[in-house]
Amino acid sequence: MKYICLGYLKPRTFEGMTADERNTVLDEAFEHNDHLRANGHLVAELPLQPPETAVTLYWKNGKVATTDGPYAETKEQLGGIQILEARDLNHAIQLVAQLPGFKYGLGPIEIRPVADLNEMIKASEERRRRKDISQVIRRWGNHPRCQ
Amino acid sequence: MKYICLGYYDKSKHDAMTESEKNAMFDECFAYDDYLRANGHSVGGEALQPVETALTLYWKNGKVATTDGPYAETKEQLGGIGVLEARDMNHAAQLMGQHPALKYGCIWEIRPVGDMNEIMKASEQRRRQAAAH
Repeated sequence: MKYICLGYLKPRTFEGMTADERNTVLDEAFEHNDHLRANGHLVAELPLQPPETAVTLYWKNGKVATTDGPYAETKEQLGGIQILEARDLNHAIQLVAQLPGFKYGLGPIEIRPVADLNEMIKASEERRRRKDISQVIRRWGNHPRCQ
Repeated sequence: MKYICLGYYDKSKHDAMTESEKNAMFDECFAYDDYLRANGHSVGGEALQPVETALTLYWKNGKVATTDGPYAETKEQLGGIGVLEARDMNHAAQLMGQHPALKYGCIWEIRPVGDMNEIMKASEQRRRQAAAH
């Protein structure tokens, strides 16, 4: 079972550290990731650029509008995403709770189980196929040779 | 260049839609995802279970504590993430700006992926040196 782990970062946490402190945090975190990867628990890692680089798109007055910055205005900002493979939520909690970032005050981590959309996608494909066929029938139905 | 697209939606609005409205939205969205994939722009993605299944871990009084629910208390909630391959942020915004989910009230936050390769290499170097001592 896959779990998306959203890592939030306190602003300027890294900037406030000395180079040595920063290296210690990074080394421990990367070592822990190596360990997770070796055990097949780390499926993917997606580090993000700072929240200032975010662009948010939304629908306003019948068209798409954009705004700079992230959607959620929170104290800690999303800094990276990890996709973990775990037996169940308890196992995912166990894996996440061991991340070294916590004790260095990096910020909270939200765990979200992945949803299986396979059945929904299959049903949608079926609907779209039927729609295509009915459009072909309609088109050919209007053809003089079919009337 | 990779961009993470965070899709937020209003669950109460979604729950209030009729079955055929939901199907129409899913069909449009999945068809657009197919289009992005066929053109090499969509390189991954995961849908999330509803926000009630979320759990947040944080540091409190010297140990890890947990709390039910998501970290961010927002009206629209994170429902899925997509990984987009685009030339630059303008291109990414152009591709996601055509996503049909938007007109159904979804919000897309686009975040460029950070390149950690150099930082990881430097860390490996430090750890190798520490192990050698």
